[in-house]
Amino acid sequence: MIEFHNVTRRYGRKVAVADLSLSIGPGELFALLGPNGAGKTTTIKMLVGLLRPDGGTVRVCGRDVAQDIREASRMIGYVPDQPFLYDKLTGREFLEFVGQMRGLPPVVLAERIASQVCELELGDFLDELIETYSHGMRQRLVFAAAFLHDPPVLVIDEPLVGLDPRSSRLVKNLLRARTAAGASVLMSTHLLSLAEEIATRIGIVDRGRIKFLGTKAQLQQLLALPHTSLEQLFLQLTEGNHQPTRVQGDGVSPAASPAPAVDDGSGELSRASRADGQLAAHYSKPCNITADADPCDTTASDVPRQHRCADPAERRPAEDS
Amino acid sequence: MIFGMATSPGVQCEDFLPPQAEARAFWLLRRRIIVARVRQLLTHARLRLSIVIILSAILWFGLFGLFAEGFMFLDSAVPHPQWRDQIVQTVLGSFFVALMLMLVLSAGVLIYGALFRSPETTFLLTIPARTERVFLHKFQEALVFSSWGFVLLGSPVLLAFGVVSAVPWYYYAMLLPMVIAFVYIPVAWGAILCLLLIRYLPRGAGALLALIGASAVLAAAVLIRGLITEMQSELLTPGWLHDMLSRLRFSEARLLPSWWLTNGLLSAAEGDWSEAMLLLVLLISNALFWRQVAIWVAGLLLRTAYSNLAGRTATSRRPHSALVDRLADCLLCIAPRPMRLMIIKDLRLFRRDPVQWSQFFIFFGLLLVYFVNIGSFSHSLHYSGWVNMVSFLNLSVVGLLLSTFTTRFIFPMISLEARRFWLLGMLPLRRHTILWSKFLFATAGAIVPCCVLILVSDFALRVPRSIVLTHQLSCLVLCVGLAGIAVGLGARFPDFREESAARIAAGFGGTLNLVLSTLYIVVVLALMALPFHFLVAADQAARTFSQFGPHPWMAESLRLQGWFRLWLVGGTIGGLILAAATTVWVMYVGLRAFNRWEF
Repeated sequence: MIEFHNVTRRYGRKVAVADLSLSIGPGELFALLGPNGAGKTTTIKMLVGLLRPDGGTVRVCGRDVAQDIREASRMIGYVPDQPFLYDKLTGREFLEFVGQMRGLPPVVLAERIASQVCELELGDFLDELIETYSHGMRQRLVFAAAFLHDPPVLVIDEPLVGLDPRSSRLVKNLLRARTAAGASVLMSTHLLSLAEEIATRIGIVDRGRIKFLGTKAQLQQLLALPHTSLEQLFLQLTEGNHQPTRVQGDGVSPAASPAPAVDDGSGELSRASRADGQLAAHYSKPCNITADADPCDTTASDVPRQHRCADPAERRPAEDS
Repeated sequence: MIFGMATSPGVQCEDFLPPQAEARAFWLLRRRIIVARVRQLLTHARLRLSIVIILSAILWFGLFGLFAEGFMFLDSAVPHPQWRDQIVQTVLGSFFVALMLMLVLSAGVLIYGALFRSPETTFLLTIPARTERVFLHKFQEALVFSSWGFVLLGSPVLLAFGVVSAVPWYYYAMLLPMVIAFVYIPVAWGAILCLLLIRYLPRGAGALLALIGASAVLAAAVLIRGLITEMQSELLTPGWLHDMLSRLRFSEARLLPSWWLTNGLLSAAEGDWSEAMLLLVLLISNALFWRQVAIWVAGLLLRTAYSNLAGRTATSRRPHSALVDRLADCLLCIAPRPMRLMIIKDLRLFRRDPVQWSQFFIFFGLLLVYFVNIGSFSHSLHYSGWVNMVSFLNLSVVGLLLSTFTTRFIFPMISLEARRFWLLGMLPLRRHTILWSKFLFATAGAIVPCCVLILVSDFALRVPRSIVLTHQLSCLVLCVGLAGIAVGLGARFPDFREESAARIAAGFGGTLNLVLSTLYIVVVLALMALPFHFLVAADQAARTFSQFGPHPWMAESLRLQGWFRLWLVGGTIGGLILAAATTVWVMYVGLRAFNRWEF
């Protein structure tokens, strides 16, 4: 659902992103890693339409972002690293504005706000002015705004900066749940532990070029360093002279189902895959989501959307667990 | 019913918001923000709000009174109605032309900041809002910010004219729509210019703006020169007036919106209802037209311009100190080293922010142009009293400009320093060093341009040496006092939330600073400069009367001269004491508050 085809972006003579080709499919949480100045934020900004590539195309659900930004932005929920919020609005007013701009009818908007309030625990401060919020509260509000319209694509730049452990756990669980429900998530982060914990695939970019695409296990295999942490693998790759490696050939994403459990000995990503299934059951939405359907299919039936707060007793079992 | 594609099976893709609904959403957003701000002001800052309202009202009514006096003087001094009407038309026309040009420039700068430097725009460009709507949202802000000055200064002029001329009621009814429609046009031009510039010249925008600014100053210089040189007639004679009015006829070009506004208002004042309506409709239709053009251009260019601007490379700085920094280090060698380093740091920040120094350059540059050209009058004048009066007024203007400079640039420096206190607070630096370095920076930065400007004015007017010395001393006292007031009040009334210097200056502390600075200028000039000018005037009067032999006025003149001398001596001492006391007291208040700051 996210496709980069030979994308290049320059800042003057400096090449920020060089000939990037990457695909992220439904049900995939892709972690984009790299040193400072590697081109991660530039890549993200091209994806959300803030920057235009100097070469190549960026597509979201088949729509060219540069040519058809409004259509593409409907599909995206974006959490920037330095989000803007209106200090003189309350959290509820901000969510209402975002929801209105997304075209959500009032009844649906109210339901979705209630749902987000529940999921992100915004209830205590939602009706206070945003200028009184702490960083963690602001970040949660931004996530709520990004999830409000249930986008099939999530783009997140540094999701956990400034969040306390509880909020971090909330966000991680939500990202896993969204992925399990079929969304494509592109996440840029410096926290390698986060990538290890929740990503289904990682990409390491350095000086504008992809140096590696694949899973941690594959990276360990490539560098012949089994039982090594992602941090050490990352440093080895970015400090060495390794050629870019696309473990999955053209970077074609896995199937829309949550990543199958892979017993590769490392344990981290496979545990995340099993947890995905459990979380999908915990947060499932009663919306007939099937594991192998294309979320961007325009021929889907007309089913009203309903959200409910997390109450295991009320939920149906996930169809894809 | 929800149409559109499914984002995932069973999940609906929402339709785009229709333009009207989108507009309503943005207006609701704006209304909510305004209501929240007003509610906060009424709850937490009633005193502040009251002072701002009262001071603005005083300023407005003061201007109204001044302009009403001016129009009444015109009525009485110019007996011929035709001449009077011509003067009013020319004066208003020239005023609106100058205003129009200033609106284009200020709107362009505001739109640039609002569209390309605002995090809100970044946010709005990532939601499925129409690009045109995002532009309109920011355009409306720029319209309000760039035109409030016109409303504040223009409304007393126009209302005073209406009252003095006993105009019919529809003059007042047409005033607001005409002014709003007029303001819309140059603001739209400024927005279009900004978009085109950033889209096609993102790298050269800064240089081009500097070139435009310099060209504007040069054009003003040439224009002023053309206005006042080679006058065939003596000053303040009918021939001179006729000549001057002819030279200002450029403001009567019928394609200019300023002409439509001037003549629309004058037609309404004269009771020519149909002509006034015609010009009102012309203004409104052009305003709507240019608004649509601006929206269309924004729809085409905004996103590309935004992306292009982000692609600008940063210019590398030379690793060693610039000549200006080394010069400053040398000149400030008597100051302690930490203070010198702080001043050099502030100097770098100032000159690397074009928004700061461009305004400084424009205002002081225009004054310099005016002062240089005013010398053209002095050699042809027999009325030396005019020279005496103008030289005093020039000193006052420089003082007032200095107060706006210290309010706009020096006052916010302390608040902005708070953002860097994670660094400054950890250095082995006493807090008062920071404050005194700001004071020294402000004083040195003010003394050089102000004293040079006053010197140019005095030499151009060929005033006696004694006046030059008096003016230089007054200027020094003004610079020191105003710097102390701005720094002290900046530390006493900081604003840690705002990142924009302009917004900090527009707050309560900035307003208080402006008011106190203005009071200080009035008092210092009344104590130190005014008595000297009265003395000179009295001396000139005595010389004039002596040509006609003994006259009772001569004795009166001599008596007055005695009083004026006493006033001058006492005033000079008083002015120096006042300057020292003001500076020390306000700095003390500021230092005490600064030492108690917590972050």
